[in-house]
Amino acid sequence: MSHTQKRSKHIALHSMRKAFSLKPLAVGIATVFLSACGEDRDASKIYVSVDDCKQDNPDAVGQCQAAFESAIEEHNRTAPRFNSQNDCEYEFGNERCQYVQSQSGSFFMPFMAGFIVSRLMQPSPYYSQPLYTSFSPYSPFRSRWVTSNGYVFDGDIRRRSYYAPSSVYKPKPTVNRTINRGGFGSTVRAKSSWGSSSKSSGWGG
Amino acid sequence: MACQPRSNWQQLATEYGFHFHTMYGQPYWDESAYYQFTLKQVEQDIEDPTAELHQMCLHVVDKVINSEALMQRFQIPQQHWDFVAESWRQQSPSLYSRLDLVYDGKHPAKLLENNADTPTSLYETGFWQWLWLEQQVNAGKLSRGADQFNSLQEKLVNRFAALKHQYGFHHIHFSCCQDSVEDRGTVQYLQDCASTAGVSAPFLYIEEIGLGDTGYFTDLADDAITHCFKLYPWEFMLRESFGDALSGAEVEWLEPAWKAVLSNKALLPMLWQEFENHPNLLPAFFEDDPLRPRHGKWIKKPLFSREGANISLIDDSQKAVPLSDGPYGEEGFIYQQFHSLPQYEGNYVLIGSWLVNDEPAGMSIREDSSVITQDLSRYLPHIIL
Repeated sequence: MSHTQKRSKHIALHSMRKAFSLKPLAVGIATVFLSACGEDRDASKIYVSVDDCKQDNPDAVGQCQAAFESAIEEHNRTAPRFNSQNDCEYEFGNERCQYVQSQSGSFFMPFMAGFIVSRLMQPSPYYSQPLYTSFSPYSPFRSRWVTSNGYVFDGDIRRRSYYAPSSVYKPKPTVNRTINRGGFGSTVRAKSSWGSSSKSSGWGG
Repeated sequence: MACQPRSNWQQLATEYGFHFHTMYGQPYWDESAYYQFTLKQVEQDIEDPTAELHQMCLHVVDKVINSEALMQRFQIPQQHWDFVAESWRQQSPSLYSRLDLVYDGKHPAKLLENNADTPTSLYETGFWQWLWLEQQVNAGKLSRGADQFNSLQEKLVNRFAALKHQYGFHHIHFSCCQDSVEDRGTVQYLQDCASTAGVSAPFLYIEEIGLGDTGYFTDLADDAITHCFKLYPWEFMLRESFGDALSGAEVEWLEPAWKAVLSNKALLPMLWQEFENHPNLLPAFFEDDPLRPRHGKWIKKPLFSREGANISLIDDSQKAVPLSDGPYGEEGFIYQQFHSLPQYEGNYVLIGSWLVNDEPAGMSIREDSSVITQDLSRYLPHIIL
């Protein structure tokens, strides 16, 4: 019977309950645990400092320096931002955040804890991205590596080599500020006003 | 089949967050009865035709995307032709859709419309009627052999996992418009399915989406939106003030922009043109088509109608009888041959047949006391036995 079953085999009911479950706490960046299938993957190494990289690649000290610098640049551009020190430290741990004042305002962001590189020794352009980790007991990425666009690597921070999907290296789009909001949703207001028999303002069908 | 409701179902609904089982003072979820099908009926009359109809629809999309005249016919705004076409050429992945079918248990099911862009009644189908069957069987009220055509939740979770691993959808913003409990419930359900697949799934209302200084859409933390599920029609988005920012914003949308072609009623005459006399199609014509028969009974629908709004019945004397009012119609009309919904004990019955990506995934049944299934029809569970 089971091989012809036409309905979902199992649904975890506890995860579908809503009434008594706690609301998930807002997290600064997304939690995603990578698994080992799908997208193209690159052999990647994680380093905690530029010297760490140079020691591992004595023939590519120049590339290490450049990869480190481009990670720092990405870090300044794309690190998760928080309005308060409290929020940032809740996510990343005590004294793991820095205060930044820039043209787009002031905020807190975590220190870069490492960087990930791939193709360092190949003629093709290598990839480099900043990495963060958390010391906070409340964070889903405590003792794990996480990128600014939300990848959480499986395994703890002692693991330093991965086959990372290429989207890890996809640069996160920069936004300095939001110019305006409310540019979607106007048709609903217009169409909802027809007739007294209007029963629903939803636009699903 | 009449059936004893579970005594505690309303309490269960509260527990699981099903908040729209009663709307505007009228029951929406109705488990005082259920519909029973044979496996053969489900597989041969619903599941297989659903897969085939979907492929026929994709054929029409391809044709429309490659023809400016048809893009015009489908009322896709000209400045967005490239944006819509690009989403098709790049094979932007889709999530789900619902075909509405007329089926009486004996004759071939007929396609009434394709809700490919913003289908609702997903939670009731994928989870709530699944739970009903599980509990009725465990309580001994239904046979252990009873099954249901409903792998919707399983397939949605698998689809989100595939989107994550094969298309880079790791962090999806979910969105719908404010003030609709039903839409919010549908989106919450999809967020739950995405989370189960390991995708992070934050929510913001469609009205809250911002436009950043660098041309990307932003969430309330000013972070760029890179992947977004929106329960909001493409035909609105293309015409609203952020529409012009769409092509520069580089968002991977669910549903993708090519669904603007599928959720459009112009699909129906195009299907008839391409697959005339297919057993699962009803004859359908554009209003200005000289070949449109000027006799018989027809349903006249606006290109962008939702929830059965602005529909007229053209009777044998070719007089138009409005069946519902509404805000649509300025974009033109199509005519579809009138095909009465089957009636059981005074109720008209409409089948919703679901797809996840291009796989048939389940069935929902709605009853209405009027001939047009509107938003307030009742949802009834079904079994296969």
